[in-house]
Amino acid sequence: MAQATQGTTGASSRVVPNKAPLRPDQVLKHAILVLAVFIALVPTIYMIMTALKSDNEYTFNKIGFPHALVFDHFDIVLFQSPFFHWMGNSAILALGSVALSTAVSCLGSYAIARMEFRGRQLLFSISVALMAIPPVVMIVPLFVLYTRLELISTYQGAILIYAGLITPFSVYLLTTFFRTLPKELFEAARIDGAGDFLILWSIVLPLSLPALLTLVVVNALYVWNDLLIAVLFLQDDAKRTLMAGISVFQGRYENQIPLVMAGMLVASAPMMILYIAFQKYFIRGMMAGAVK
Amino acid sequence: MGQSSRLKPYLYAAPLMALLLFVFGYPLVQIFEFSMKLIRGIDGPWIGFRNYELIFGQDLFWEAVRHNLQLLIAIPIMVAWSLLVSILLYDRLKGWKLYRVLIFIPYILAIPIIAAIMKKMFQFDGPVNDALRWIGADFLALDWIGSSDYALWTVMLLIIWRESALGIILFLARLLNLDESLIEAARLDGANWWQRVRHVILPQMRVVIEFYVVVSVITILSSVFAYVYIMGGGRGGPGTSTVVVELYIFGAIVRQSLPGIASAVSVLLFLVSLLLIVPLFAMRRRANEEEVG
Amino acid sequence: MTSKTNGSTISRRRMMQTSAALGAGAIAGSAFPAWRVRAAEEINMWWWGEQELPGLQGFVEDSVKNYTAATVKPMLQDTAVVISQFQTAAAAGKAPDIQYLWNGIYHMESVWLGYLQPLDGLMNADVLKASQPTLLSHYDGHIYRMGWYPLPMIWIYNKDLFEKAKLDPEKAPATWDDFLAACDKLKSAGVSPVGGGIQDGYWGEWYWGHAISQIVDTPGEAVKLFTGELSFEDPKYFEPWARLEELKKHDFLNPEMSSTELYPGIDLTVAGKVAMGESIGARMPKDNETTGDKIAPMVMPVFGKSKLAGKPIFDTQGLGISKDAKDPKAAAAFLEYLQSPERQKALHDKTGWISSNSGTDTSVLKSPVVLDMWKRWGQGDNIPYISNVVPGQFYEQALLPTAQQVVAGKITGEEAGALAAKVTKEWRDFNPDMVDNYKKWSQDLG
Repeated sequence: MAQATQGTTGASSRVVPNKAPLRPDQVLKHAILVLAVFIALVPTIYMIMTALKSDNEYTFNKIGFPHALVFDHFDIVLFQSPFFHWMGNSAILALGSVALSTAVSCLGSYAIARMEFRGRQLLFSISVALMAIPPVVMIVPLFVLYTRLELISTYQGAILIYAGLITPFSVYLLTTFFRTLPKELFEAARIDGAGDFLILWSIVLPLSLPALLTLVVVNALYVWNDLLIAVLFLQDDAKRTLMAGISVFQGRYENQIPLVMAGMLVASAPMMILYIAFQKYFIRGMMAGAVK
Repeated sequence: MGQSSRLKPYLYAAPLMALLLFVFGYPLVQIFEFSMKLIRGIDGPWIGFRNYELIFGQDLFWEAVRHNLQLLIAIPIMVAWSLLVSILLYDRLKGWKLYRVLIFIPYILAIPIIAAIMKKMFQFDGPVNDALRWIGADFLALDWIGSSDYALWTVMLLIIWRESALGIILFLARLLNLDESLIEAARLDGANWWQRVRHVILPQMRVVIEFYVVVSVITILSSVFAYVYIMGGGRGGPGTSTVVVELYIFGAIVRQSLPGIASAVSVLLFLVSLLLIVPLFAMRRRANEEEVG
Repeated sequence: MTSKTNGSTISRRRMMQTSAALGAGAIAGSAFPAWRVRAAEEINMWWWGEQELPGLQGFVEDSVKNYTAATVKPMLQDTAVVISQFQTAAAAGKAPDIQYLWNGIYHMESVWLGYLQPLDGLMNADVLKASQPTLLSHYDGHIYRMGWYPLPMIWIYNKDLFEKAKLDPEKAPATWDDFLAACDKLKSAGVSPVGGGIQDGYWGEWYWGHAISQIVDTPGEAVKLFTGELSFEDPKYFEPWARLEELKKHDFLNPEMSSTELYPGIDLTVAGKVAMGESIGARMPKDNETTGDKIAPMVMPVFGKSKLAGKPIFDTQGLGISKDAKDPKAAAAFLEYLQSPERQKALHDKTGWISSNSGTDTSVLKSPVVLDMWKRWGQGDNIPYISNVVPGQFYEQALLPTAQQVVAGKITGEEAGALAAKVTKEWRDFNPDMVDNYKKWSQDLG
């Protein structure tokens, strides 16, 4: 039995000797894992296979492989539907709110972690507690307020809300991280005459890069994937996000399922590509994000 | 220390406070006031607890609450499945890293995307039923999303499918941090796989399981909007069989012009989430002590 | 009424509800962009419709260019804010002179808030009448909308499928008994007799609009169902759902109906998979072009005995004049200009659809099927679309869910009536301020 003898790294290479026959219990374990992988992938496989079928083929072949590959649907999705426009909107919102939230949280967390002031523990506790408040609780007053201020269907309005919603988590993560940085670092910098902002900018932030990356992944993903705020606060067709666009798209072409699946494939592509490229940050980020 | 340096921390914290006050502070105060009024537009006459009286007397509200509670049934299944898969992954069989990457994919796909895919898969004349008929399980070929008897269960299936991916990763991370010498010692004592899992591994995972449960409770009570919005045709259908509290609030403000009613329900949901914050924090602290999350 | 003729999947009901009361937002006098400040001789017109009728923008621009009596400044509104933007502006005293208005309750709230002026007295009475504002634009003895372009509410059938079942493709079943007999034949021929898609619920709204008019003698009688003077628990008033239950029991509805959405459901009839279904007039030119005139309109088969039974249902999109119009006469003159024969033709040229004017020149309609539809729906003895009077809460919690549940075989027509009655009662409790308005409105609606 080799599987439990090594640490977390380099495990796969030393597991089971390559040519040794698998024991029955290992066959069973593999079978369950393959089943789990299958279950996890079925919708994706279905999506890809269906996207490549013609509408006609789909009516009689829903579960098999496509007989002839059809790429027409991608033409419609990419060039005759506003997918890129929706993605652009989502990207603007994600970038804007993540940037705003990160800036605000860096300053705030630095103050909480490294400065003495009245109410800093309270501020930290409150912002951490806010993580557990469901966004839907806040929408009524914000919606009424935004209608009054004519901020419905504006980027800045939605960015502000998203930035607010993701900030408690940012503060939690950054403050925790900043507190782990060694005190000596700050003292040395201060002796060199560096002010707080310089310390934050040129010492703390570079050292916090892993935490910041995690933060960006979690928060950007949250904004990118959100539907509630998008549907409510960005009602204008021109400001529609990818997720809200999808919900319209899938309804509109409901009986052209291959086309819908092509749309879903295109819509999921950016995150899939990023996931494959940055697995480590994604997995770490999602785990951290679960704390929200 | 001069005046300016005493003010400086506040200067740093000010944008944070402003943002939180705007997005959380203002609304959380305002919902209490709105919930006491018959709001038309931005204001309306004070009507005391009438809104609460109205929602407590309305079947649809209770139905929405019941649906959220019913979805909680998903949690034990999620925990069991996540445990099984994560422990098997922990055995680090050949290819386990690839398995891990693939098994996490459900969590990468956005909920609206996956809900749209699942909706097509579970259509009455869709591939799931085709497959079921093909293997001779015709009796299982249900109208998964078209029948009010099954629609919420179909939503639950989707929730289990997606949220389990998180459980697996969380549990696996905890497992990889376990003290392996204990497991090795158990093995040397002749404990078999099941005994090692039961008596050595599971006890050490209690905290992360509890943490996952609390997080999932919060998710299911307050963050399933995207699932039901897509699966239920935007309004919790068929009938009202997939209406949840979030959708009730959404409908009250967007479709019935009743911000007062929506606020009253928001207040209730807020109070419930306050109750959940306490265990969440306890879990988080303990989970952090074990270096998870 | 769902207005997604060209695939824009937004329910008009939803847009309205988004905004309805929010208009009052301006009570506080909100800030308005400076560009809305206007010159004295200009007529501002906020409109919508390009979204459901592509080409309408071209028509509006063309009309503005050709109109010499005044300068008209049009602004195309976003779908979601058509009502809220107007109401907010009106509350601040800055509403445009001319405003686009959906029918029934969708503009009646603005009337109740005092944001619109009556058009009778401003416009030539004959022109206003010919534009077909429909009865639902009447309140307190006045008319608040001019009809602009029409939305005939129709049932459709596929002639090919009728032939396949040895039914007369030129004669749609008119009575309920004939209809059931036709369904039987279609079913024996292996065709789904009737249905569409109800997963998103709108099908139920259309269905009820068709069915209820066979039961009530006036739209006002339907309004009394909401004010509490009449009850959905009365077998007479839950009959629409009882008839739907009958179709379900006979297994006449297409099996995928519950998991299919409205417009894909209509496509099923166009594609020859379901023999009869519900549709809207604006789809007809295209659906008949696709099929070679195989999609014919019909009135919902008659089971009821009301004065409205068997008559074609006709709804229109319209325009009105706000209380803030500086020169209401000048605004009215522009509206009359839009009803001139020359403009009616231009509307067709730009959009392929027609003006709602009952005297419009029909020679532009090439398809005989579409022409036939227009003669019966647009120029015949038509009746208003009663689903446009239902309150939002009833719409969401009763009108759509009940039909879904009856179609799924989960509840009976009687149970649907009980649910409808319960939701109506809740609506009165939740909206005490609206009930009086409805009571008064019911008097105008006969």
